[in-house]
Amino acid sequence: MKKLIAAALAAGLLGSARAADITVCIWGTITGPDALVNGMSYGPRDYFEFLNQTKGGIAGNKVKLLLLDGRYKLDEELKIYRRCVDQEQAVYVNGWSTGSVKALRDQITQDKVPFMTQSYASEVLDPQKLPYIFMAGPTYEQQMIIALRDLAKSGGKNLVIMHPDNEYGRGPVNVVRQSKVIEGNGLTLQDTIEFPYDAQDLTAQMLRVKAKNPDMVYVQASTPQLLVILRDAAKVGLSAKKFVGNIYNISPAIPEQLGANAEGFRAIQVYSDFGSDIPAMADIKAFEAKGNEIQKRDVYYMKGWFEGQVMAKAIEAAIAKNGGKVPDDIAAFRQSVRNEMEGLKDVDTGGIVPPASYANHQGSTQARMAEIKGGKYVPVGDWIDAR
Amino acid sequence: MSRPVLAAVLLSVLAVIGTLLLGRFGAYMMHAVAIAAIGALSLNLLTGFCGQINFAQAGLLGVGAYAAGLAGNAGWDLLALPVAGLAAVATAVLIGLPALRLRGLYFAIATLAAQFILEYLFKFAEPITHGVSGLLIKPMTVFGRPIQADQGYAIVAITLLLATFLVMHWLRRTDLGRSFLVVRENEVVAKGMGINVARTKMLAFMISGFFAGIAGGLIGFTARLAHPESFGMSLSVDYVAMIIVGGLGSMPGAVLGAGFITLLPEAIQRLGEIFHISDQLSALREMTFGLLIILFLIFEGRGLSAIGSRLVSARGWRTRQGGRAEPLELQKIKSSQGGLE
Amino acid sequence: MLMFTLQLLVAGIATGSVYALIALGIVLIYKCSGVVNFAQGAFVMLGAYLTYGLVKLGLPAYVALLGAMILMAGCGMASERLVLRPMMKAPLVAVMTVTLGMLILMKAVCLAIWGPDQLAFPRLFPDGAVDVFGIFVTYNYLAAFVLSICLSVGFLAFYQLTPIGLMQRCTADNPRAALAIGIHTSNQISLAWSMSAALAGIGGALLASLNGLSLGLADIGLVAFPVIVLGGLTSLTGALVAGLLLGVLQALTDGLLTPVAEQFLRTYTSIYSAGALQQVVPYALLVVVLLVRPEGIFGQRGTERL
Repeated sequence: MKKLIAAALAAGLLGSARAADITVCIWGTITGPDALVNGMSYGPRDYFEFLNQTKGGIAGNKVKLLLLDGRYKLDEELKIYRRCVDQEQAVYVNGWSTGSVKALRDQITQDKVPFMTQSYASEVLDPQKLPYIFMAGPTYEQQMIIALRDLAKSGGKNLVIMHPDNEYGRGPVNVVRQSKVIEGNGLTLQDTIEFPYDAQDLTAQMLRVKAKNPDMVYVQASTPQLLVILRDAAKVGLSAKKFVGNIYNISPAIPEQLGANAEGFRAIQVYSDFGSDIPAMADIKAFEAKGNEIQKRDVYYMKGWFEGQVMAKAIEAAIAKNGGKVPDDIAAFRQSVRNEMEGLKDVDTGGIVPPASYANHQGSTQARMAEIKGGKYVPVGDWIDAR
Repeated sequence: MSRPVLAAVLLSVLAVIGTLLLGRFGAYMMHAVAIAAIGALSLNLLTGFCGQINFAQAGLLGVGAYAAGLAGNAGWDLLALPVAGLAAVATAVLIGLPALRLRGLYFAIATLAAQFILEYLFKFAEPITHGVSGLLIKPMTVFGRPIQADQGYAIVAITLLLATFLVMHWLRRTDLGRSFLVVRENEVVAKGMGINVARTKMLAFMISGFFAGIAGGLIGFTARLAHPESFGMSLSVDYVAMIIVGGLGSMPGAVLGAGFITLLPEAIQRLGEIFHISDQLSALREMTFGLLIILFLIFEGRGLSAIGSRLVSARGWRTRQGGRAEPLELQKIKSSQGGLE
Repeated sequence: MLMFTLQLLVAGIATGSVYALIALGIVLIYKCSGVVNFAQGAFVMLGAYLTYGLVKLGLPAYVALLGAMILMAGCGMASERLVLRPMMKAPLVAVMTVTLGMLILMKAVCLAIWGPDQLAFPRLFPDGAVDVFGIFVTYNYLAAFVLSICLSVGFLAFYQLTPIGLMQRCTADNPRAALAIGIHTSNQISLAWSMSAALAGIGGALLASLNGLSLGLADIGLVAFPVIVLGGLTSLTGALVAGLLLGVLQALTDGLLTPVAEQFLRTYTSIYSAGALQQVVPYALLVVVLLVRPEGIFGQRGTERL
């Protein structure tokens, strides 16, 4: 029976090609609990595709792209990582969930493969100990602190934090709570409310919030959960104005599905929105005009496009260092890409984020608040550096 | 050595050689199959041999992963795996004490409850499990030497699979093993024969739990993270599907089923990539999974093992093989109320 | 505090009444065909998606709801005829697993057609709320409650009072005797499946109007399980009561028990969050009930225990 299995495996192995010189491997949640924000996996794919179609790839070499579905399942993601690193010999890997990146962080260092994480967890950000992991903006904790400062500035005092019962929710909230930064800003944490990440009904939790009557409710959750939160907040008579979310709560789905109940909701914005008047948007439009379908028209797509930009820049620089040729040795190529990535300075991102540098492995750490007004996210305030 | 034992040893040696030839990804798949096979054999012992349906298999695997992780991180070396097994045995006893007093359907629902409660506890007991972050696990060490390569893990998993297979093969021929079958067939008859039904079921659950714990420990070591979301209800369903698709009560069937269910998503993934339908892959994968379960149950209740033996047998149709690990006829266990004949 | 509790009760009863409707379907199927249907959650989800799909095709919401019910009835019948009937003689584990297979399949079909994202469900009832002595009751709650209760009671009446209901009860009670007196039992079983699926479908549409439309609706089947076992698998009224009870229990756990538990944990342990207590409390209760009365609160004494 194991022969059969081995045969099936061998068939699977032979089925994959290894022709391309530059392989970039992306895995996202194409389907799964967080699929609403998966524009950030389509973004980098489309950016590389855009390079392939308009510039003949990077330094004349077409980029071979893989977009795989990790389904937000740890074992699936671990499997995909091995496929990317081993079978596909990817020079750069872009991966999804906080859990998987944490599980893989030591192996990424061992494998010496440049890795762009979609997660902003501070636990995977450490330029010294984790020299191969890069992220695309301020950490969740930094985003939360921006909101806290905003509350303090506007004279608010009382705070309630809500988060789902997963790593993405509980982790950063614990870090911020234990760092005493809340008290440091003169604020009081009245309550922390955890809820099941797949909850469909949060009425009772919203009643709890209402009983505390806070000045601000900070939500460390993803868009699907935020939809439930704001809907049930309206149900119990809480205004969306009190709620502030992070980067994952800028989604057209929120005003679309909630209408008036979403008015006044604020979220942290790190990337310019899809459709804003910036040079990068012209590229995206040009890409679409060539008959490419853009799966998600939202800020996460912009995040992904930005990731594509910096990843491509690092690959391009590594090839330039090697005399314009793609290095034959994948290990050397990866090493060089990592070094170039860290050396990126003031990269022009076509206005998606302010010029980005990667010495800190984060690119941009600037963010601003955006508020839903008339069914649209409108920036309310300037870029603030989150550090 | 009897023929099935010889065959199992030979196949394992082949699998180890295969693993060394395959790359890292291949080795990873191989070891995933081997681990799943240990888990499936464990479930098959309880469900296939003893007739008790267990929806808490994923929970038991989880207990094993956490226990192995804690023991491994504390430097217990190879002992970490038996520790994982024993931790799962303890859990099985805790579930079994109340649940095994119930029969059939109600036992199944009690294990369903246990599964959800275990999942909750993994998230809740932060001081032990590190809650939703999951427990980071150091690489497994064998006599002080850490295993880094996926090939190494594959060889460990295959070796343990062989050991599991042989132990169960032996167990089936003991009086205890035979009493499992009697309990499955008819509890009243078993009682009449002087078998202590409750004790027999508990022993089946404990032995099953031990191997589930070991499989869980291996999962923890290779993932390097024991994470609550990795041991959810859907994994329990996967394991039930493995023994159903493989052929309930058949040990080669359980191994085949494990391979089939583990490799199926990857096969569909690759096919999908060839035909450029990657956006619908996930739906397609789930659809195939669901359909396969249904079709197997309707048209081939004895699963892959029956199809396998039909293919192997030169005489064509052979519904029953003599002597050796034959696929067991599905039994007519009617629920006590409202069933139709 | 009293107001807060009452408010929780209102929310709990509204959701609980929909649970009751769904649990009714599970019991109906179990009584008639002896099958524990894990796919009931999938019927719930499918009903909601079909309503959504029909509205998208341009039908008015209520017509769509009715249409979805009819389609669901067909789906229930198809499940019975195509999947369950060939497995009549299979063991319990096989039958349970095949319904799990149906659950996975239907979820995958919805995923393929409607995608993974949460969708805005068409408004079946107007927004807004009535204020009863300071307790708000949204129209949605009110409608879900009234509709579920009417449907459940109507169904029970149908089951008790009409000739078809009588035949259904005969089939469930003693299939051989039913056959002997000329009841076409297999038709009755098909009928039970279609009624059950239709009930689940409308329950799904109601839940979606309360909670939004997503694939997560299918998980309700696993939530409904403790309910029916609590009620006793064979008691229709038991399922109704247990459904309401579960809704209330979840709301009270969320609103009252969790804060207290967290207070305790934060004071005395290093654990900060009690987690998804509302998801385990029903299961913990289930274990207790199974231990004390495996036949459930309303079930008849069975032989499912040694």
